[in-house]
Amino acid sequence: MSAVASHTVPSAALRFARGINVGLAVFLALYGTIAVLQPGYFEVEGFLNFLRRAAPLIILACGQLFVIAGGGFDLSMGSLVTLTVLGGSMLAGGNPENTWWTIGVLYLIGLGVGLVNGLVVTLLKVPSIIATLGMLLSLNGAALMWSGGAPRGYLPENFRALGRLVYRDVPVTGIMPLSVLILIGFVGIAAWLLHATVFGRQVLAVGDNPRAAELAGVPVGATRVLVFVISALSAVTAGILLGGFAGVSTAVGQGLELQAIAACVIGGAQLLGGRASVTGAVAGALSLFALFTLLNLMGLPQPLRETVQGLILIAAVASSAWRMRRA
Amino acid sequence: MNTATPVLSMRGIGKSFTGVRALDDVSLDCQAGEVHAICGENGAGKSTLMKVLGGVYRPDEGEILLGGRPVAFRHPAEARRAGISIIHQELSLLPERSVADNIFLGLEPTRGGLLDRAAMQGGARKLLERVGTRVHPDALVKSLSIAEQQLVEIAKALALDAQIIVMDEPTAALDERDAGRLLELVATLRREGAAILYISHRMAELKAIADRITVLKDGKLVATRPAAALTPAMIVRLMVGRDLADFFPPPGDPTKLGPAVLSAQGAGNAVLAEIALELRAGEIVGVAGLEGSGKGALGRALFGDEPFTRGRMTIDGRDGLIASPRTAIAAGIGFLSDDRKKEGIAPQQSLRDNVLMTLRAFAQRLLPPGSGAMARAAADRQLTEVDVRAAGFAQEIRELSGGNQQKVVIGRWLARDPKVLIFLEPTRGIDVAAKAAIYQLMRHVAERGRAILMISSDLPEIIGVSDRILVMHEGRIAGELKRGASEEDVMHLALGTGQAEAAA
Repeated sequence: MSAVASHTVPSAALRFARGINVGLAVFLALYGTIAVLQPGYFEVEGFLNFLRRAAPLIILACGQLFVIAGGGFDLSMGSLVTLTVLGGSMLAGGNPENTWWTIGVLYLIGLGVGLVNGLVVTLLKVPSIIATLGMLLSLNGAALMWSGGAPRGYLPENFRALGRLVYRDVPVTGIMPLSVLILIGFVGIAAWLLHATVFGRQVLAVGDNPRAAELAGVPVGATRVLVFVISALSAVTAGILLGGFAGVSTAVGQGLELQAIAACVIGGAQLLGGRASVTGAVAGALSLFALFTLLNLMGLPQPLRETVQGLILIAAVASSAWRMRRA
Repeated sequence: MNTATPVLSMRGIGKSFTGVRALDDVSLDCQAGEVHAICGENGAGKSTLMKVLGGVYRPDEGEILLGGRPVAFRHPAEARRAGISIIHQELSLLPERSVADNIFLGLEPTRGGLLDRAAMQGGARKLLERVGTRVHPDALVKSLSIAEQQLVEIAKALALDAQIIVMDEPTAALDERDAGRLLELVATLRREGAAILYISHRMAELKAIADRITVLKDGKLVATRPAAALTPAMIVRLMVGRDLADFFPPPGDPTKLGPAVLSAQGAGNAVLAEIALELRAGEIVGVAGLEGSGKGALGRALFGDEPFTRGRMTIDGRDGLIASPRTAIAAGIGFLSDDRKKEGIAPQQSLRDNVLMTLRAFAQRLLPPGSGAMARAAADRQLTEVDVRAAGFAQEIRELSGGNQQKVVIGRWLARDPKVLIFLEPTRGIDVAAKAAIYQLMRHVAERGRAILMISSDLPEIIGVSDRILVMHEGRIAGELKRGASEEDVMHLALGTGQAEAAA
């Protein structure tokens, strides 16, 4: 049978490669270009600093990936990032003693946002793209109201450390940013949940064919709510890291949801659900972030960068649809 | 009847779909002022023939002559322009538009390039009067009853001034009184010289209205006779008369039946009424009935997909109506949908992931996906047991043939091994070899002490596999037949002609 298999069925390794190769190849090409322009990127330290800045987008992509795998979209991620940063500075008020309970409250807010997204989609049967678009507007409004329209307060140093602390004199790598450790932990948990648990298979089944999953007994509603909770918790995590090195602003999370979706699709995720890989999403987020870094280095203005981002999203989805037709 | 050139003549029509011969050398004509009835079982080719006539399908062989002139329609609009109007079983009205809008859809009267509302209103009112309804031209179609919509559909056909009118089971959704009115209208149209092709299962109607009757079976023409020369019994025999193939498994042993594992009393919902049935461990019970008889709804109600809203149900000794598929599965019921693509497979997942779907649906979320009974070896054993032919079990299921996909979905249930299995059209669209394999598998499962409710439109399958047969008619169980019942017996109950009740 294996002889037959090699002719008609791609091997697991080939499938794996097909899942991530686009994202990975694009990333390597872009990163190589950056490194030619800025030789510091060739060193371990340069790479780790790059990772530190890419960490929020990678985390967002991993969270978004669960929603996409389950057949939906979460457009509220970016506004939840903004709410996390603004809310964090309001709650903590610059006092280091407030940091830990502030983080607890932020995660509770994330849990609430994820539950509402999930319940609106499952109980009220609102398409996720609409439900989370509504959530995006509400959260942006709430963040602005809470902060009075402009960022107030500031994040205490121990809060900001999560995003920007770098350990020195680490063996082998030399330096190690704390956010990269958080990133590694987060990606590990995401990969385990999606690829090594019963839950992950349920998400893929629901995304692939919700009716078939329902008739097979899969708890479709609970699964959908859970993916939105995972997505929201990842947005809070990304917000905490971003607050650390980007500082407090009302635009900090703007457009991140689309970047996360683009990252997933570049990484081989099927836009309507049923196929997704954490490795692919990470590669997609890395290549997207490398592209932004490159455009920045080339001195392109912000509006042009947004235009390029939009074009990339369309190109990524189109190429995914094309791959799907050929498969 | 005049012997002039028929208004419509179809000659040697043949049509195949991916290897399945849906129509084979069918010839048929219809004169002006004639009602020509067409009958046959589900899948006999009636609807395909009408779609060929209506320009939806192009025939592989044969030709269509209108008034002696050959025509070839490339699109339904061309057929309409040639004066052929088809009133489909599923109504094709736009629910959010007014009655007048629908009647003149595509034929809107204009004046100076603008829509002439007054002409449309007046025209619609006249047509509605002709079909004998007081529906207002401005009423939205969605506010009308099904019967009224049917009449609007006919008014739409009249607006075209069609010389050839095809009606596909027009009275299926109508009550006695509305059906009577519709038959009068058909008689009027005939007097006015229309050629009418009339598809129906209702014997009384055929006797009342048809001039000639054509019977189709398995895509072939069995007979065309003057209606006066046929009795209902003769029509039924022409519809079903065929040999049973010998690929059915042996029947169950009635002495080895176990206790009742599922029963329902007085159960009903929007489409079902007074459902009473009992399934015993070890038997295969067939459920037959025409399209729209509620046999599919019965399976979905028992499984909690479109639940019963009244009555009582007992599963494995426990009382309670089932509210959702998940509770049904937890209570010990399995369900095979009649729509494999929409409701059976997760197309992009592997055979293993598909066969394990139900086991995983009830496992702890954070367990590894291959732990315990969900191990890869167990999945492979299950796939081997149902004899799936695939290049490898890691293959995506959408790459498989329908029959192999169906085996995987059946395997999904066998892995869970529920007390009761409800199979909806288990062999629809599946080749003969896979069919036989699935019948053997079902008998095997029954012999292990499970009960199977096999709901099917395939009469030979119902007769050949079932230990006993329930026949549904208009949302109720019209009767029960023992093994050995003939297809005529089943059809009589299914058609409501009632002659076979004594055999129950």
